[in-house]
Amino acid sequence: MATLTYYPGCSLKTSSRFYDTSIREVFSFYRIGIKELDEWSCCGASAAHTVDETLAHVLAARNIAIAEADDNHVFAPCSACYSRLKITNDKILKDKGLRDKINGYIYPLRCLGTTEIKNIIEVFNEYVGIEKIAKGLSFDLSSIRAVPYYGCMLTRMPKTDVFDDCEDPVSMDKLLWATGMEVLRWPFKMECCGASETITSKHVTASLSGKVMDMARAVGADVIITTCPLCQMNLDLLPHLNRKDNVPVLFLTEVFELAIKGKISGKSAHIIPVEELIKKVVQKSKL
Amino acid sequence: MDNLEFLHEIENASGENISTCYQCYKCSNGCPVAAEMDLLPHRIIRHIINGNREKVLGSKSIWMCLQCMTCSVRCPNNIDIAHVINTLRKVSVKLSMEAQKDRWLFDNLFLDSVKTHGRLYELETIMKYKMAKKDILSDTKMGIDMLLKGRMGILPHSIKDRKMLRAIFKKVEDDRPNGW
Repeated sequence: MATLTYYPGCSLKTSSRFYDTSIREVFSFYRIGIKELDEWSCCGASAAHTVDETLAHVLAARNIAIAEADDNHVFAPCSACYSRLKITNDKILKDKGLRDKINGYIYPLRCLGTTEIKNIIEVFNEYVGIEKIAKGLSFDLSSIRAVPYYGCMLTRMPKTDVFDDCEDPVSMDKLLWATGMEVLRWPFKMECCGASETITSKHVTASLSGKVMDMARAVGADVIITTCPLCQMNLDLLPHLNRKDNVPVLFLTEVFELAIKGKISGKSAHIIPVEELIKKVVQKSKL
Repeated sequence: MDNLEFLHEIENASGENISTCYQCYKCSNGCPVAAEMDLLPHRIIRHIINGNREKVLGSKSIWMCLQCMTCSVRCPNNIDIAHVINTLRKVSVKLSMEAQKDRWLFDNLFLDSVKTHGRLYELETIMKYKMAKKDILSDTKMGIDMLLKGRMGILPHSIKDRKMLRAIFKKVEDDRPNGW
């Protein structure tokens, strides 16, 4: 059984705790072992590099340094955590000057940049694979039309090697296709949700996330699928931002839960209700 | 005085080759918050090259940027424009020229929380921000719904070795040139 060092990040312990639960459910089904990183601290998110770039690298490197001792790949399901850890890891590996500087700050810890940082799409593709996914399903998702929503942070890393295309990524499309869902083509795979403007300029999030929802509905989607806690939260908050007629926004692992068990463990945490969607899947599977 | 002083300053601070810009407009064309901006991204870059310090550092645009990185990955000259904008924020604050203070305030409160607990304590950070803005009552309904749905922790999730983390923060802050 493969074991990954798990970096949950702050969101998966608070606002998106149900994402953590969902990951644990699905990973145990696919026999992917996860060991939560000891004493992990915040990755710095977008705040650290806005205020102080050195601090951003230091906060990410502290976590990577602890993870390096485990000698596993590091799994970061939150897109922002993944992006921050990967950017710092790459820079520390390639730039000796920066490596020495950052290690000076985190001493006695030491970060070499030799581990690999993986997002949740990579983990499913590399540790499970679409063949195994397609073969091991118990529920029929073919009545569900989904739009894959990647968001900004997974593949937009300038001057860094990324795992998928930054304009038209397809890695999550393939996973969803393997679960039997109907995957729709749409132009907003990579559109920004408004990020943390929900707190500082609410109208910006209402407008940007609202457009993502409009487009999902315009192409006839029943559900939006994402891997990013901030994207999920912003879209899920749309009813509170005065937008009606919203389709549910699921985490990728919740799709696997549906396909494997016909239920979603975190359904009560969703603001846009998911019950109808679950019912549709269960009824279709009974036929 | 060298007329390129501002360009050199921002190029050095960001490490980006801003002067390679040939005004293709790709950055502005893809910007999701172009409608909120007083200066579009391609113009910010041009104004830096032309040395228009006040115009750039006093612009609202540098604070409206979402750091979505669309411009950065599309630039044919490999200028990480979002990074240039993030650099301009720091310079603008250092010179007290910022047109909008909310983003800087929130990001600093966010980091204070991480410094204290090791991890973000969402509820405390949001309440501190709202107190600073003297706007506690807006979003109450949203907040209560999130609490009821288990989407807002009441208590912090602190790490054990907070002393060590605070020492790391202090070292970085002490080395920050002129409050940079």
